[in-house]
Amino acid sequence: MKLEMRQKLAREPFAEKIRKVAQLIRLAKTSPRRAAKTTLAHPALSAEALERLPPKGANTLH
Amino acid sequence: MNPPSDNLPLADVLRTANQLVAAKLIEDWALGGALAAIYYVEPFTTYDADIFFIPAGKGLDAGIPAIYAHLQAQGWQVEGEHLLICGFPVQFLAAHGLTEEAVREAVRIDYEGVPAKVFRAEHIVAIAASVGRAKDKARIEQLLQQADIDKTKLENILQRHNLKLPTL
Repeated sequence: MKLEMRQKLAREPFAEKIRKVAQLIRLAKTSPRRAAKTTLAHPALSAEALERLPPKGANTLH
Repeated sequence: MNPPSDNLPLADVLRTANQLVAAKLIEDWALGGALAAIYYVEPFTTYDADIFFIPAGKGLDAGIPAIYAHLQAQGWQVEGEHLLICGFPVQFLAAHGLTEEAVREAVRIDYEGVPAKVFRAEHIVAIAASVGRAKDKARIEQLLQQADIDKTKLENILQRHNLKLPTL
């Protein structure tokens, strides 16, 4: 993810970022391999994973 | 206790820390660790909250045993070194030296109507430099890239605590 995108995420309100952390935790619990792959590379990549998530209920291929 | 929610129960955690001040168990506190970093950078996965506190007294009843006893009496559970506040693990850490300074100089915020304090970005960088694990280096890199760091303040903190930034 581009630095500009990360900086944009960083500027979001704290409450919104905390909501995304909760989503990331749920992602890690439901798809631990996918979450581990992103967080091992760099913790910051977790936010990128979240941005790429399909809408809730969408069919996904892992 | 509130029912489980889709969000992190951070407001409950912060409210609980404020109650410890009201109960005179701690003098002051601030949010540190990963959640404090997230105040300044993009969100990432973390599984607990770190609350750094300054004990109210220096007696044997000051500090973590009293905090845990007080919160357990209110129904919160202990799991290892964490207290579970609304099911979310919270670690209370006694502040000293650099972390005590970080608590005293922390930024005052309002989170969902709850007054709280969060470590300044410069202190988070300095604390990460003092710990020096791989994830601390990643945190420093993130903060330097994404947060508005006061470089003069950071250099002052690093110098006073005899610290250096790692090679990134």
